[in-house]
Amino acid sequence: MSATGTTHTRNPSAREVVVTGIGLALPGVATCGDLLGPLPGKGGFNPATGLRGRDLRHKDRASRLALRAAGFALHDSALADADDAFTGAADSTAVVVSTNLGNADSVCEATDTITREGVSGLSPLGLPQTSSNVIAGWVAIRYRLRGPNLTVCNGVTSGLDALAWARNLIVAGRAEAAVVIGVEPAGDVATKVLGEQSTDAAVAVVLEPADAAASRGARPRATITGYARARNLAAAMAAAGVTDEQAVGLWLVDKAGAAPGHLRSTAHRIDLESQLGPLSGALGVLQCAAAAAHLDSGATGNALATAGGACHDATAALLLTPSPATRPPRQERGERP
Amino acid sequence: MTWDITGMAAVANIGASPREIFAALCAGRESRKPLKGFDPDKYRAAYAYEIDDRPNGGDIPRRATGWLTTVVRQAAADAGLGEDLSQVPVLVGTTMREQRSLELWWRDDAEVALDDLHFGTVLKAAFGASTTYTFAGACSASLYALGLATDLIELGIADTVMVAGTDAATESGFGTLDRVQNDIPDALRPFDATHKGMLMGEGAAAVVVQRTGTGNEPVHARVRGVSMNCDAHHATAPDPDGITRAMRDAYRRAGVGAQDIDLVMLHGSGTPLNDLTESSVLRHIFHGTGASPRMTAIKAMTGHTLGGSGLLSLVMAVLAMKEGTVPPVLGLTDPIPEAAGLDLVQGTPATADLTFAQIDAFGFGGINAVAILEAAR
Repeated sequence: MSATGTTHTRNPSAREVVVTGIGLALPGVATCGDLLGPLPGKGGFNPATGLRGRDLRHKDRASRLALRAAGFALHDSALADADDAFTGAADSTAVVVSTNLGNADSVCEATDTITREGVSGLSPLGLPQTSSNVIAGWVAIRYRLRGPNLTVCNGVTSGLDALAWARNLIVAGRAEAAVVIGVEPAGDVATKVLGEQSTDAAVAVVLEPADAAASRGARPRATITGYARARNLAAAMAAAGVTDEQAVGLWLVDKAGAAPGHLRSTAHRIDLESQLGPLSGALGVLQCAAAAAHLDSGATGNALATAGGACHDATAALLLTPSPATRPPRQERGERP
Repeated sequence: MTWDITGMAAVANIGASPREIFAALCAGRESRKPLKGFDPDKYRAAYAYEIDDRPNGGDIPRRATGWLTTVVRQAAADAGLGEDLSQVPVLVGTTMREQRSLELWWRDDAEVALDDLHFGTVLKAAFGASTTYTFAGACSASLYALGLATDLIELGIADTVMVAGTDAATESGFGTLDRVQNDIPDALRPFDATHKGMLMGEGAAAVVVQRTGTGNEPVHARVRGVSMNCDAHHATAPDPDGITRAMRDAYRRAGVGAQDIDLVMLHGSGTPLNDLTESSVLRHIFHGTGASPRMTAIKAMTGHTLGGSGLLSLVMAVLAMKEGTVPPVLGLTDPIPEAAGLDLVQGTPATADLTFAQIDAFGFGGINAVAILEAAR
């Protein structure tokens, strides 16, 4: 995870961690495959109708979006049944949320209310969302997920960081699976602080060890192979294990990384934010979903996601490679037919 | 595996270093102050445990960031790391991040940018650190961060990790808590029959954790194991099952049993529900293991310092083990019935030979972390 020690993260004896499910609650994006084409497209999630329901009552907007994305991802990975109950190992399933502005509207609204009316004007139901980890709490409660429960609020790299920490939790043996959610709600505070119109965005991916996924018959879409958060793009890519730039078939960039000249390879580039608007904490997880769609389609080359840059505190890089199911046979040496 | 603690630092309302805070806890003088940072007319609660560093006539942004910078610098110096942390991961646990700055920006037009909300921005500027993480993990955040740091070392990703916690009280948090507490507390009185609820404190703590044998400085104490889990039960109320699982998992990771624990640094938030739940679980855990370990709850004097509170308790546990002294729980004279049989230190500091300490931290969202420390001898 650090620039100095990532050789260890590529230790071949470490458990391989794969993406087994993806869920989107994102206007203008109907399927993961859509992320590879021009956006926004037709359809996708409609917050006006999709955020209703008894199960979402009294919850903040970010938590409601996250619950929908998590539900879609758990069904996609076949870890939820027809009654929308979790069917995996609940005691050892982690929830990892990435968000920067998830509760920003709740916080500022409460401040306005106190200024106007004093605390008597506040709703007691607003207590959970005064704390930035509210989203992960509601997702855990909804699906009874009792493993580690992390909320990463780490700026533009948050989504990629959250995926790396989820992978760490699995490799360290703290979790047998992780639901990773990137979420940002539309709101007045978000729009003001971002300096452009904020939009609703939630995406969830399910991570599992490759062997566990195989033994339950799940379909892995991609392997999370390398990650680093470092001082600049070159350092992050090197530490994430991007040794052969020609092997990168898809490069998911953000605004900072979209500048030409960084990567010599002819990789196809996708800048999700230029098409969908600011994604903040949701970006990295959405990049992972796009990478998985690319790798799952059988397209050539690995997928690289990067975020951050010189105007931020760091740059993060996440390298995704074909899963055992779609990997060319030559990479399977040592395994018997 | 064990991990060495080679650097420590802390700031709170009652002191600007671990030694000062520990001495104040042992002296045991009332530390609550009239609420100063917010307009008292808007709140029912009249007291808090703020750090008194605001200029006269108003609040300023980035106070949590300032305390974080201070404790990281001091912990790094204590461990002999210097001020260049470009090769050291820094993990920060927090409840509020810089939400207080967000409030001041939104309402009062304070100059605050989106990148000020997380702490990587200041850690880059002050220490050249890039492998930095801000974890919003409510009141177990800094012990969660400690657990994640031990994982980084165990996985071979790092040999040295800076772990910290920091929080400044927010109006939205202080106000909503005020709104939901039926009976407004005028002090935080954990485990006492007069306890009415929680009052916020402010502060930060940091420790340097290293792979055994990596550091050059004396080892303060050893981390034996840190558990982390989630109740998945209630958004704000604690759950005895989740807390019990967290304690048992911490013992398993540490390779100890309940009978080995000499000191428990209680979460002790002073809410009737926390105190009842925590003491009931501890009675069950320590039933049949001989004499109760010594127990204390520092929030009686520091207030609830939120995300950093677990790490502050841990730093105090290290000093308690070094000194063989356990500070009392300020104001505890009549323990709640559920705490019967638990050796809560009252009145004056207790003298004890302490080898293993347990540190509890439970947060909103039902997230629990329990750390086990071993004295360095």
